[in-house]
Amino acid sequence: MNRIIPQDGIAVVTGAGSGLGRALVIELASRGFTVVGVGRRSAALEETRALAGGSVHVAPLDVAKFDDVIAEFARIEDTFGPVALLINNAAIYPHRDILDETPESFMHSVNVNLGGTLACSHAALKGMVTRGQGRILNVATYADIAPLPASAAYSVSKGAARILTRALVADLADRFPDIVIGDWMPGMLRTGMGIPGGLPPQVSAKWGVELALMRDPGLTGTTFEQNREVLPPQGLKSKVKSLVLMRRRRPRTIG
Amino acid sequence: MSVLADTTWDVIVIGTGIGGGTIGRSLAEAGLKVLFVEKGPAGPRKARNGLDAGIFDPVARAARGAWPTPLRARVNGRSSEFFAPLGAGVGGSSVFYAATLERPERHDLDPAPGRDHPTGGWPVSFDNMLGWYDKAAKQYALSGGTDPLSSEPPLPLRDPPQMSDGDAAMMRSLSGAGLHPYRLNSALRNVEGCLSCLGVKCPMTCKMDGRSAGVEPALATGNAALLDRCEVRVLHGADGAVSHVEALHDGAPVTLRARHYVLAGGALGSAHLLLRSASEAWPEGAANSSGMVGRNLMFHLNEMLALWPARDARFAGPSKAISLRDFYHMDGQRFGTVQAMGIDAGYGEIAHYLNLMFERSALRGIKPLRQLTRLPAAMAAKLFGNAKVFVGLMEDLPYADNRVVIDPDATDALSIEYTFHEELLTRRRAFRKAIRKGLKGQRKMFLGMQPELNFGHPCGTARFGTDPATSVLDANCRSHDLRNLSVVDASFMPTSLGVNPSLTIAANALRVGHHLSKGSQS
Repeated sequence: MNRIIPQDGIAVVTGAGSGLGRALVIELASRGFTVVGVGRRSAALEETRALAGGSVHVAPLDVAKFDDVIAEFARIEDTFGPVALLINNAAIYPHRDILDETPESFMHSVNVNLGGTLACSHAALKGMVTRGQGRILNVATYADIAPLPASAAYSVSKGAARILTRALVADLADRFPDIVIGDWMPGMLRTGMGIPGGLPPQVSAKWGVELALMRDPGLTGTTFEQNREVLPPQGLKSKVKSLVLMRRRRPRTIG
Repeated sequence: MSVLADTTWDVIVIGTGIGGGTIGRSLAEAGLKVLFVEKGPAGPRKARNGLDAGIFDPVARAARGAWPTPLRARVNGRSSEFFAPLGAGVGGSSVFYAATLERPERHDLDPAPGRDHPTGGWPVSFDNMLGWYDKAAKQYALSGGTDPLSSEPPLPLRDPPQMSDGDAAMMRSLSGAGLHPYRLNSALRNVEGCLSCLGVKCPMTCKMDGRSAGVEPALATGNAALLDRCEVRVLHGADGAVSHVEALHDGAPVTLRARHYVLAGGALGSAHLLLRSASEAWPEGAANSSGMVGRNLMFHLNEMLALWPARDARFAGPSKAISLRDFYHMDGQRFGTVQAMGIDAGYGEIAHYLNLMFERSALRGIKPLRQLTRLPAAMAAKLFGNAKVFVGLMEDLPYADNRVVIDPDATDALSIEYTFHEELLTRRRAFRKAIRKGLKGQRKMFLGMQPELNFGHPCGTARFGTDPATSVLDANCRSHDLRNLSVVDASFMPTSLGVNPSLTIAANALRVGHHLSKGSQS
């Protein structure tokens, strides 16, 4: 009941042409899900499909083009059935000194990293709200906490995307407790966007998929890092409350 | 939209709660063309939220089907503003109710020997209402048990679901104390996957409310249409009839017309609309030649009570299945029913309750102090453990000075004036004493010292009666003044009963609907 199964509907993964997105598609397909991989590059998506085998479909789409997102999600649901799971993974990370950014180039990153997440979530929510059930997992980072040099657009847009998760929760969680929305930090990965010594994406993808298939309403608004919950900082008042109620907070772990 | 506005409907029903939903269905099933006009949104059908007084943004409230703005209340001369448990969406407040539908007692409607009636009796007798109560019980799929103290013909109730072990133990424990508990009459159909939506919207057609048992079946007949997000601003008319209603649909002005108008915006909303419709034709407000519109406002008094099951019968989860009428009417005094609240005495409930107390206290101006209620609530949650919360609903009596008013500073806001009369306070003390005595030997604790009005049960603000000088509506709930206007929400009730009002509102709406459709055929 609190776990998504292939009979509930399809999974959509954005940024499916490479790296973590590709690994997530492969992992979901290996578990019997019909997966639609979204990405800009057809050839890369086809490669993902070939690697995954199973029931994988590709949807060439730039998530920063919002009208296309709306049309494509409508087509996906018409063709393959309800979206039970959306993983917002697509992101760009243009390493650029702020003096070399233009407002346009900066806002393009925002349009992909924040706008794409919003557009895809919004499109998927349409059906999820009608069914009263669904799962959205946003691939997130700590980039906003201490922005690195040459990472302004990435830090700002990914930070804003985390706020978006919280805002979606504020608007939806009380009305639709079975639409479970949260953030997941995959960790430093050995991908095009990551670092050479990072974790192989297929390792991280196992955690991500495991988390994505959990739809316990208690996961709404949570952040997981790799396979472990990151507890939100506690204010004094709630510290006292925990103490009085003798409730110690324990982070949840995956698998 | 323009099609809806260009049509002259047989009946426009304003408000879609228990009253509006029920009568709209009855009229649509009789073949009349019905337009439901609802201030709030239809909203996503799968929504499961409750009424959260912590959400204060009017847009966020409207999106959840809650009344968007606070109630302005002047109680005992002291003003405060708070979010009353009122809905504004399809189904009105009823989508949030705990689905407890209980039939009142004979003396609630009729004068009886030794049981004087505060208004001399309703213009429709208990016996005349019985058939309508039966119909309403069926339409709302009521299940439960019959009060063992009652000698009246039983309601047609469906078998209730298996009782939890805990509730069964609670029943035994109350029976052992010489009381007469019975299964609460509930409008949950208990379909497969039932989420027991007490206090929250039901995403299925399991909880029967103004939406699932009223508006939706009405729309299914093909004879009814729904215009949501449409707030009726003013009723216009002259010469003893309503000519049209002026409304705002998504903020844009729209005029709607029908041969007959049924007002069902709730006892606060309907009275407020009638009063603010004052015009040259009706200087005191629509349908108000008696001056009674808005007056005789009643609520129930809630006596919240924590009850601990016997030590060997502790159980987790709230009790929601038990009702008893041992204290309903005693020593010539009108009290009311006692029933399980369907909530545990947990941290959230206690904090909410303490906050309400705080809002009415002398310290309420000092906002940071509000946080302090959290600590006692946390400690109380530990102390209360497995206590079950029961509530005694005590009847309120009609007083002309308790009323809905138009606040000149905020003419759009629901505003009331209410005074606790000495009679009520004395009767309340007697009610508490009776409960305390009756539950002797049971571990119990009253949750609250001050009298608590149940702002979710307003009624009486357009009462029906035979005398146009002292009542707003005639015996069939038609305005004495305006021949094509009826009111079918709890406004019509001359007295507030000792039970939850929903079943009576539904039964009356079916009765009024029957007379209206019969009248339109002849």
